[in-house]
This record gives sequence, structure tokens and C-alpha cells, in this order.
Amino acid sequence: MHKNRIGAYLFSFPSFFLTMALGIYPVVWALRYMFFEYQGFGTPKFIGLENFARVGRDAEFWHSVLNTFIYAGGKLIITLPLSLILAVILNRKLRGRHAFRAIFFLPTIFSASVMSIVFYIVFNSYNGIINQYLMKLNIVSAPVDWLGAAHAMTTIVIIAVWGAVGNYMLLFIAGLQNIPEDVYEAASLDGVNPVQRMWYITIPMLGPVLQMIIMLAITTSLKGYESIMVLTEGGPFGKTEVMYLYLYKLFFPLTTSGTSVQNIGYGSAVGFTTAVIVGIVTWLYFWMSKKLNNVY
Amino acid sequence: MKKRFATKRSFLLCSLLVMALMLGACSTGNGTNAAPEASAGTNGASSAAKTKISYWTIDRHDMDYMQEQVDKYNATNTDNIEVEMKVMADNYNQAVEVAFASNQAPDIFRSGDFQTYVNKGYFAPLDTLLSKEFLAKFDGLLVEDVYTKDGHVYTLPNTGQFWRLLYNVDLLEKAGYMEPPKTLDEMVEIAKKVTEQGKAEGIYGFASNFKNGSGFTRPAFASGSLSSETSHEGFNYQTGEFDFGMYRDIAEALHQMKTDGSMIPGAESLDIDPLRAQFAQGKIAMYVNHSSEPAVYTSQFPTDINWASTLVPTKDGQINGVTWVNAGGYIGINAQSDKQAAAVKFLEYLYNTELRTEYQEKGLGLSVLPYVNEAAGKPELKGIEGFLPTKYDGIYPATPISVTETKLEGKKASDVFIEYILTSNQDLEAAIKDLNTRYNKALAAARTEGLTNIQANPSFSAKSLQGSLGQ
Repeated sequence: MHKNRIGAYLFSFPSFFLTMALGIYPVVWALRYMFFEYQGFGTPKFIGLENFARVGRDAEFWHSVLNTFIYAGGKLIITLPLSLILAVILNRKLRGRHAFRAIFFLPTIFSASVMSIVFYIVFNSYNGIINQYLMKLNIVSAPVDWLGAAHAMTTIVIIAVWGAVGNYMLLFIAGLQNIPEDVYEAASLDGVNPVQRMWYITIPMLGPVLQMIIMLAITTSLKGYESIMVLTEGGPFGKTEVMYLYLYKLFFPLTTSGTSVQNIGYGSAVGFTTAVIVGIVTWLYFWMSKKLNNVY
Repeated sequence: MKKRFATKRSFLLCSLLVMALMLGACSTGNGTNAAPEASAGTNGASSAAKTKISYWTIDRHDMDYMQEQVDKYNATNTDNIEVEMKVMADNYNQAVEVAFASNQAPDIFRSGDFQTYVNKGYFAPLDTLLSKEFLAKFDGLLVEDVYTKDGHVYTLPNTGQFWRLLYNVDLLEKAGYMEPPKTLDEMVEIAKKVTEQGKAEGIYGFASNFKNGSGFTRPAFASGSLSSETSHEGFNYQTGEFDFGMYRDIAEALHQMKTDGSMIPGAESLDIDPLRAQFAQGKIAMYVNHSSEPAVYTSQFPTDINWASTLVPTKDGQINGVTWVNAGGYIGINAQSDKQAAAVKFLEYLYNTELRTEYQEKGLGLSVLPYVNEAAGKPELKGIEGFLPTKYDGIYPATPISVTETKLEGKKASDVFIEYILTSNQDLEAAIKDLNTRYNKALAAARTEGLTNIQANPSFSAKSLQGSLGQ
């Protein structure tokens, strides 16, 4: 037994080492600078909690937090019900269901950056396909600036939903396949309609799977920024700036932003704050969703 | 029992193998210079005496030509130097940082972010390596914080981006204008007229790529600096403080064009390449960009439209300064390299007049070096003539804007101006006042912490830069 434990440690060591070297160490390396003034060169200067005081005063950061919640909220409200409905439909014994599942899952395997460039072509206002169709159908009389200040966030949410639905659909299908068929048969004998079937059987019986999927969806949405970086770079004038993009720019200034100097000290404090925000939201969700953990 | 022993033994062997592989991986890569020397040693007697140096560049537009020149140098130099040129992909600054951190940095390399490279000790001081005669070629050009710092030269100028107003000659003529605008009011008027005539066909008077801050800085830096005798990038050299009032006129002109409907729809989210594609199709009458454009309209977006370029307009046509030329350092020598003497020889080769004039004549880049511009013939590139150095082009001393923005609280200047241009949400005067207050507070903090030593220079006059690059 004791020797088996040594073996377990030995086999765990490579992944433990890699996690420490590539996951934990860089985080600790960056976080230690949250108490320092450091631009990436020279000697870091200890400034205590000043970086955190600046986070508190930084209206641009808190604006990006608000944008993050709008983005994540919009994405979750549409994605989760839509992927659950698709999962329920494609979990039936329909002809071609495997092909449909593959089609809906395809966006997950595409690079977010590449797809964002494609969506830029689709949504741009001067010759984008969407505007051309809308104008041809007389729905709008002038091109809509889908990526301008008024609509950029909505457009980004639509693209995020497109990219996420297939992934959550597949996870829901995995959960649905664990629900015994007998329960549905018994319910149909009792004459339940499809809505009752979904509300009183499917959702409660998904239980812990549903809880896990929602948690994954929340954390992924709060951390998402890649497609925003490609599509709008957080613009116009900060309208689509989300907190992880704001953080990214502090460590790796975009060449188009005009700033080339890193802000590692302040960036670390912002990084810590964003991690705390995501942590609190996740914890709140777990606390509120305890009931979902009950398997009926 | 025997089987169990065998299982345990193979289990133990596997564990040891995994550990050995990991340790092996961790122990490789002792540094740059070690690797080439080791390979030189194994290459046999023929190459043993060669001094091999590595050269990193990020320039892809000239890589074929530069590789030819490197091959020529390798074949002809009498110092037995062999240069290996490597064209790096994006994220060049990060690649250089990683290379220095792991002692695998090249011996000679393309300059990236000057301040960072000097502060981190990547650059060797060239004034201790190059002869005074060689450095004399750059007299009057070696601007502090761009090429030199604290009395030492770390990199040297080569080519630059020259900023101009690009315009569609036919669209302007159709609207009744035989000459491009010289004042901002003329630009606004022309944009309005062109749009009135062409809107039905999707033709608009003006565009800029407001997807990011450069949508403002492209026209504003060019026009603002040409108008001002004291300032660049919002920084007043004479007072040593920020004053964004220098961009009031150009911001108002851009705002007016937006209000008039003279800007192409979607300018808010427009990137530079889609803008170029529209210009190439004859849908945009005017925009501001730099001397890369002739190459863009030759290879990336070939076009038959009749376009030209001219100095950017100023408020009243008056020129008090120069249009800024973006001419950062070209290459530097690794401060840690033990082959600096060979790197110096190669650097001197890269600056020889024959190579540099041919480079310019092929249209690969416009030189800021007077000795090259005097010797070079007209570049073989359609449209380049409008970008050639004039009396009103110049290299400004560095400003502290980058380091100031690391201490800045609130919106950056470019975002504030773009919001004003695209919306009518704010009062421009109040916005400029607020920007000045916040930037000067951030600058004071940066100075206190020693992040910049750029101070006021009461005798600075941008007029003195006129004629420094051409006539």
C-alpha cells in the first residue's frame, strides 16, 4: 500500500511539476508585483497598497467590470436556455442528429480570433453581408454600424453566443443521457406536456451537471476577451472594454494604443482584483445553487 | 510474485525515464553563444575559423532583399564573418525579452521599444564601438531618448514613416477642386462636397480608422505637430508639460466632418486595412497615413485610381513646426555578446551608401539619412514621390507620453478625442482641460519615481527642425 502511494506520487510528479512551473509560478511571479511600482525594467519600488488604492479610483477599470457583467449576462441568458433546448431536441432519436450535433459544435473548434475576423467582414457597416440583406429586404434604409458605440456590445454578445452554444449543448446532452428513460415514460403515462416535462423532470434531474455547466459558463464568460480584442479592441472609446482585456493591455500594450510601456505593478493589482471578482461571483453562484446539487 | 516484481520494475523504470526526460529538458539551452560555437566546432575545419553572428529582424517587407545582402556579405567579407539572419514573427518585443532572459539573444538585432531595451541593458553603447567618422554620418539626427540616452548612442536611424494626406485626385476634381486642401476648413468643405456628389454611389469625403486610438492620432499627430512650434504628442517641449490644446483644431475639423455626414459610415469600427480597401475602390476621397501606402497600393490592394499625397492641412495653412517622422532606431548590438567586433562590422556594412540607396530606389523604405537621400535616385514605386522628405519633415525628440500613460488615471487622450469627434457628448474645452490636468499629474508622478528624465527645454523650437531631412 505504502509502495503504491510512492508510485502514485511519482506518476503525479510530471503534471504537478508542469502545473507548478507553468501555472502557479507565473501567477505568483506576477502577483508579487502588486505591491510594487514596476514597468518591466529597473528596480521594482515597494509602494504598499497604493496599486489597490488606484484600482479603487480607476473609473476605467470599474467601467470595464460593468461591461464584463453586461457581456457575460447577455451571453449566459441567451446561451444556456438555447443550448439546453438544442440538447433536448438533439437527444431524441432524430434522423441526422449526429450531423446536427457536429454542426452546432463546430464553432467551438474554430479559433476565436479567426472567427472574429470573419464576423468583422459580416458585420462591418459599409459592405457587410448583414447590412446588405437588411437593406435589400427594406428592414433598414441606411447601413447600421454594428460595431459602433451603439450596437458593438450586442454584436459581440451575438458572436459569443454563436461560439458557445454548441459546446454547452454537448455537455447538456451528456447530462441528459444519464436521465433514465423510465421517468419520461411514467410521465407520459400521466399525460405531461413538453413544457412540464422540461420543467419538472429534465431540469431537476440534470441537477449537479446543470450546476457545473452554469458555473463553467459563468467563469468562461467573465474571462472572455479574445474576440473583443480582434473585433473592437475594447472600443469605440471603451464601450466594449471588458476587465480581462483591460488587464491584458496593462501587461501587453497593443501597438495601436500608442502606449508601449508595460505596467506590471498596477497590472498585477488589477489581475488580483479581477480574480477576486470572478471568485466571488462563482462562490455566490455555488451558494445560491446548492439546491441544484440534490439529485432526485 | 515474479510477475508482480516485473510490473514494479517496469513501473520504476518508467518513473525514472519520465524524470530523466524532464531533467534533460531543463538542462538544455545554456545560451545563445554556446550553441553556435558548439555547432561551429562540429562543422569541421572549413568553418572553424568563421565568426558566426546571429541577426534578428522583424521586417518582412524587405526580407528577400536583405537576405540577398546578407548572403552577399557572407560571400565577400574578408573578416571571415558569417551572419545568420532570422526574420521573427509578431510579438517581437516578447521574443527578444525571452531570448535575453534565457541568454539566447542575437548578437545584433532590430530595435524594438528603445526605452525598454536601454533600461533593461540589452543595447551595447555604440559610441564605444563605432568610429567617430562613422558616427559623423548621423550628425544632427541622434535625438535623445530615440537613439541616445545619457550621452551614449544605442541605436541609429535608418528609414522613417513620412505622414501625408492621401487624396483621390479624380474625386476632388469632380467636386471642383484642382488642388488638395491646405487648411482644415478647406478639408472639411471638400469632404462635404465630395460626399454630396457621391453618396448615392457610396463615395464619402473622409475616413479614419477609429477602431482604435490611431484613428485620431494619425491625422492629429501629423496636423498638430505641423501647426505647432512647441509641441508634439500633446507634450510642450518648452514648458515640459502636456497641453492637448494643440489638437483642438484638428479635433473640431474631424468632428465637423462626422456631423456633416462626410465620413464613411462605420468609421467608428473601421480598421486601417478595410479603410485602404475602400480607398483603393475609389470610395474615400481623403485620409491621413504614412509612407507605407505606395507599397500597399502596389501589392496589397492594387488600384487604378488616380491618387496622390500632400502635406496634411493645418488650421490656416500656416506651418510652424514639422510633420513628425516616425523614425525609431534601426538596429542595436547585444550588450552581452562576445562577438561585438564582428557585429560592428556587419552594422557598418548595413549602412553602406550603395546598399542604402539601392534599398530606397527599390521603394523598400524612405531614408531619413541625408547621405542616402543625396545619393539615391527616385524610388521605383508609384505614388512614393509625395512622401519623399521635404523641408517640413523632421524627427522630434522623444516625449514622455508612453511612460506618463502608465501613471494616468482615467481615459487616454485618444479615447477622449474620439468620443468628442464621433458623438456630441462632451464639451471640447472642458475635455482638453481635464486631459491636461490628468496627464500633468501623471507626468509629475512619473518624474518623481524616476521613470522619465525628460524636462522642459525653453529654447526648443520645432522650426529649427525644418530642413533637417530634406528641402
